[in-house]
Amino acid sequence: MAKNGKAIKQIAIYGKGGIGKSTTTSNLSAALADLGYKVMQFGCDPKADSTNTLRDGSYIPTVLELLRDRGSVNAHDAIFVGYNGIYCVEAGGPAPGVGCAGRGIITAVQLLKEQDIFEELDLDYVIYDVLGDVVCGGFAVPIREGIAQHVFTVSSSDFMAIYAANNLFKGIQKYSNSGGALLGGIIANSVSPESNYQRSIIDDFAARTSTQIMQYIPRSVTVTQSELSGKTTIEAAPDSAQAKVYRELARRIDEHVDSKTPTPLEPSQLRDWAAEWSDQILAIETGEVRTEAANI
Amino acid sequence: MAQILDQPRYKCALAAMQTVHAIPRAIPILHAGPGCGTKLNDNTGISGYYSPNIFPSTNIGEKEVVFGGEGKLRTTIENALKIIDADLFVVLTGCTAEIIGDDAEEIVHEFADAGKRVIYVNTPGFKGSNYQGHDWVLTALFEQYLPRERVPVNAKQVNIFPGPPVQDPFWHGNLKELESLFREIGLEPNIIFGYGNGVSAVDRIPAGAFNILVSPWVGLDSVKVLEKKYGTPYLHYPVLPIGATETSKFLRAVGKFTKVDELHVERVIAEHEKEYYYFIERYSDTFLELRILSKRFVVISDAQYAIAATKFLVNDLGWNPGGTQFVTDNTPEEYRESVRSEFEKLNYGIKASMEFSTNGFEIQKKIRESGFTAPPMIFGSSWDKSFAKEIYAPFLNISYPTYDRLIINSGVVGYAGGLKFLEDIYTTAVQSLIL
Repeated sequence: MAKNGKAIKQIAIYGKGGIGKSTTTSNLSAALADLGYKVMQFGCDPKADSTNTLRDGSYIPTVLELLRDRGSVNAHDAIFVGYNGIYCVEAGGPAPGVGCAGRGIITAVQLLKEQDIFEELDLDYVIYDVLGDVVCGGFAVPIREGIAQHVFTVSSSDFMAIYAANNLFKGIQKYSNSGGALLGGIIANSVSPESNYQRSIIDDFAARTSTQIMQYIPRSVTVTQSELSGKTTIEAAPDSAQAKVYRELARRIDEHVDSKTPTPLEPSQLRDWAAEWSDQILAIETGEVRTEAANI
Repeated sequence: MAQILDQPRYKCALAAMQTVHAIPRAIPILHAGPGCGTKLNDNTGISGYYSPNIFPSTNIGEKEVVFGGEGKLRTTIENALKIIDADLFVVLTGCTAEIIGDDAEEIVHEFADAGKRVIYVNTPGFKGSNYQGHDWVLTALFEQYLPRERVPVNAKQVNIFPGPPVQDPFWHGNLKELESLFREIGLEPNIIFGYGNGVSAVDRIPAGAFNILVSPWVGLDSVKVLEKKYGTPYLHYPVLPIGATETSKFLRAVGKFTKVDELHVERVIAEHEKEYYYFIERYSDTFLELRILSKRFVVISDAQYAIAATKFLVNDLGWNPGGTQFVTDNTPEEYRESVRSEFEKLNYGIKASMEFSTNGFEIQKKIRESGFTAPPMIFGSSWDKSFAKEIYAPFLNISYPTYDRLIINSGVVGYAGGLKFLEDIYTTAVQSLIL
């Protein structure tokens, strides 16, 4: 609860590395801020680049860097204001190959939580942008009890992205009985609504795992151009078609109320499912038309 | 997986710091959280030069967990080398350092030219016990510290490796007796642990013509390392020899293995047995007429003492192993059969029943339910003292923890050790007399 009694909506965005989580999250934060909400984006990745495009491409000191240098941190020192008043925080973490990044996420999230900073800033939204696969307990912290209520996963129609999403669903299922976050839905990135099979694959996966697609985000050169100029699409090309897609996503997430426990596929089910799709894609690519007659 | 609910009878692998500390002029450096060294430091006889309370330790906390503790390890080693007068430093890694994946090996390699030797051992508590940790320390010592090339071999030198010092409460006395027996049969014993030994004895290991492991299973991996490194043959003698029967058997086995003159070995044995049985005879009225012991027993101890005490009590004293003997060291699966088989190799074709258990409650429950007509004598640890009292059983502490008994340099090995063990047993018995 924020200080005026309103509920803070806390959202965690997960997905395979490189799938476009930070791009999607930053545009979502920007679109929500444009709707008049007070938003904090919390990057949970040792690379600490989640909020770059909200601050003209600049890096900010991370919670863990501050903690390393000073031993204790005032949360205010780790919060930086970005586009349209969005509060930007980066958890940070160790250099690759040393230490425990998962423990870093736990430490950073706890530090902000303990200092009641979300309430103090009277936030409407806290959006956690969490690194790739849920490789250990630390990266599951945002979906545990008392942190985020809703999880959205960014996934393309590629098998490996879907595999990562399915793993995340397992994590959500595990914590679902103990008050953890539930699944809001899939943000289908790099999926054109008009595509032959990309949309069908991701739709089918959503149906099999009892969830929904929040938005289809097509590939767009506008996103690349905006990112290269250190900005979100919402900021750099506010009137573009792509910005409209992100605004629509923000509206849907804003209206979203009930998240659910997903039904992840077992490894063998996932393999069989992928094999089915492989056959179908081959048929589409080779122009084979599958009809009832083909089975005769 | 061991299930220790209460009454721990051994510790985690990091407690192998005691194995390092038992080598004079060697110092452990702990790469572990604050408190590990202190928590593992509950034995007696561990103060003196650099006690566990002041072992160098990185005391890693949250900062090191998140960013890695290698920097802290580096400075801890640097400072330890500066201020501690020792010849060998052994870095032992604890759970936290191992979970976050600190590379102790790389840091230790940075000290290759430091002028003092530094080696490392991975001893996370979750990986095993201090019995296994003891073997890992020795393996590290042999692999990292000892030179690759073998020095000229001394045909008479025998390196003796016992079970884990300190965990074995009689280690000082036992080692002295083993040394003395080896000398008597014409060998030159080399032991790295305890008074008068140390890093210089480690340096002599490559010159040994033979290695002898006196332990049921602990230490097997490390003697195999020496065999591979230098081609030194080893004798694995699984029974700690207490009393005449086992000690004579042991000396014959050692003599045969090292090809010592058989007649000489027999002469030594005969002389010792003559003396041993002289005393047995002098005090036989005590053993035969003192009818306050049921002459039944239960040993609750590690494989080393459960086997050793059972053999002595059956073979030398003629006691009845009526109940079950309990081995509490969580013997790894691959050694269980060989440990079990020792309980079946007793004189007169007697076979003792035994069980592996780390659950003190279950052990005591089973003893209660064994239906002894008179209470057996319990040979165990401090955990078993009040239990023994409850069932009116005489009790002798021979195993960690030994909080209620002080053992300095007395031992139970050999002929003299057997008589000393007898003194302890019958002192316990006569103390129940009301005069």
